[in-house]
Amino acid sequence: MHPLNWVIVVGWLAYVVTHGIRRSRGTKDIQGYLLANRSLPWWAVGLSVMATQLSAVTMIGTTGQGATDGMRFIQFYFGLPVAMVILGVTLVPFLHGSGVYTAYEYLERRFDAKTRSLTAFLFLISRGMSCGTIVAAPAVVFSAIFGWPVSWSVALIGVPAILYTIVGGVQAVTWVDVKQMFLIVGALLAVVITLLIQIPVSPAAALHVAGQAGLLRVFDFSFSLTNTYTFWSGVIGGMFLMLSYFGTDQSQVQRYLAAKSVDEARTSLLLAAYWKIPLQALVLLVGVLVFVFYQFHKQPLLFNPADERAVRAVASADFSRLQAQYDSSHILFERQAIRGTALELAGRVLHHPVNDTNYVIPRFVIDYLPVGLAGLFIAAVIAAAMNAISGELNSLSTTTTIDFYRRWIRSEAPDAHLLTVSRAATGVWGLFACVVATYAVNLGSLIEVVNRFGSFFYGSILGVFLLAMVPRARPTGAFVGLLAGMTAVGAVNFGAPKVSFLWHNVVGAVTVVVVGLLLSLGGRRTNAPPRPARAG
Amino acid sequence: MSAESSARFRRTLVRVMAVQVITLLLLWLLQSHFRT
Repeated sequence: MHPLNWVIVVGWLAYVVTHGIRRSRGTKDIQGYLLANRSLPWWAVGLSVMATQLSAVTMIGTTGQGATDGMRFIQFYFGLPVAMVILGVTLVPFLHGSGVYTAYEYLERRFDAKTRSLTAFLFLISRGMSCGTIVAAPAVVFSAIFGWPVSWSVALIGVPAILYTIVGGVQAVTWVDVKQMFLIVGALLAVVITLLIQIPVSPAAALHVAGQAGLLRVFDFSFSLTNTYTFWSGVIGGMFLMLSYFGTDQSQVQRYLAAKSVDEARTSLLLAAYWKIPLQALVLLVGVLVFVFYQFHKQPLLFNPADERAVRAVASADFSRLQAQYDSSHILFERQAIRGTALELAGRVLHHPVNDTNYVIPRFVIDYLPVGLAGLFIAAVIAAAMNAISGELNSLSTTTTIDFYRRWIRSEAPDAHLLTVSRAATGVWGLFACVVATYAVNLGSLIEVVNRFGSFFYGSILGVFLLAMVPRARPTGAFVGLLAGMTAVGAVNFGAPKVSFLWHNVVGAVTVVVVGLLLSLGGRRTNAPPRPARAG
Repeated sequence: MSAESSARFRRTLVRVMAVQVITLLLLWLLQSHFRT
């Protein structure tokens, strides 16, 4: 890559670390460090919510999915706006109004300590692991593209984010997220404009090419439990996933707990709802246009240069023959078939299925984007990864400190001591994420791995929070219901492995609510839920 | 919830839903117009 691109990447990293540390005012006590003294405006919280969810997986994996599979992935997000509205009138007023640090803290007030600890523990396990995969996604790709060891890429992404998160807490995380969101959206728009200029046909003709390849097929109204990307999976399964993610996952809840008021917290969620589908459409459109671009320019047969080197070393003649066929073919479906054969050849050589979706966009950026813009895009990918992991590290640290250290080890610890523990926990979780990322090299499709892992617990945790809003629900019902929910998801996962992971959330939540209510029948109202806080 | 914040929430809600409907319509047009 041109040195100017590296100057842009390093300059941006230095800027955000400095900015994050400078923005760490008010982090002298635990309330400031974990909740920014509940002083953040709705628009900053809303952008931070969006930024935490928009990881490097989105920048690399989703754009790649747009190039290889088209726009249908967007159906995954159809349930999100509905989920945000439901949360705005249900959980957000309860959580913000109860003055808690974590969502799980609320569960002890409503039910008991064991339900709180189990949900907090499940959060730590699933988020700790997903934090590693979020770093791994761009690290693996950068290593293959630039020929670095994976550990270098992990350090490039992880160290700056860990640094400003340790120093500045939620305040630094939120304000850095805001800056980085502008970089990410700016870089995506710049790539779209560059593509439209470089594709040698009109935008309408380019879209016709994409339409012919089936990449503009957005809606699939078939009802299938095994197909993840259908309208109904997105609206129903996706809604449960988003309810769970934005309503009960501390990495999201902590963002809006830091808002000035309930009203600002709800509005911040609606801001994320406003832009999620249009933003995802933009991300996928980048991939679709890259596909069209390669119909007019020389395209690598395998996008992962490491795979290409390995195949050339073992089956050079076969690969050269396929490459020659590919270069001389101008028929869309023939080209797709040749590429499929090349991927099969790579699979035989490497002894595992080869999927180079995550390499399509980085390879295009390096090979074809103008100097400066390539650096901007790489900086945006790193920014997206940093946004996601900084928010998660901050929430992992909060849960460790509040739900475990203060709850079970030193309940009377002074503020300064808890602040030190929070900072140390951020560092330890950061190190854990980097170690997981370094060793999580062969994870297959990283988007699905992250989502699938969360879906194992998400629905059941959502079910507990839904139960918390039912006055008759009792602690035993909640705890046993939670265990039953996870058992049901496990049974579906192993008994019917073809069922899409999106439906696991529905199964988990419904099981917890049904079992919890059945076990609460005939009981007296205990620890009834507090009235939701008044907005404003 | 105060009447003022309820009204603000309803207004924001209507805008959010309007943006979603417009986006879905545009995506539908994209799919149907460039299908060939």
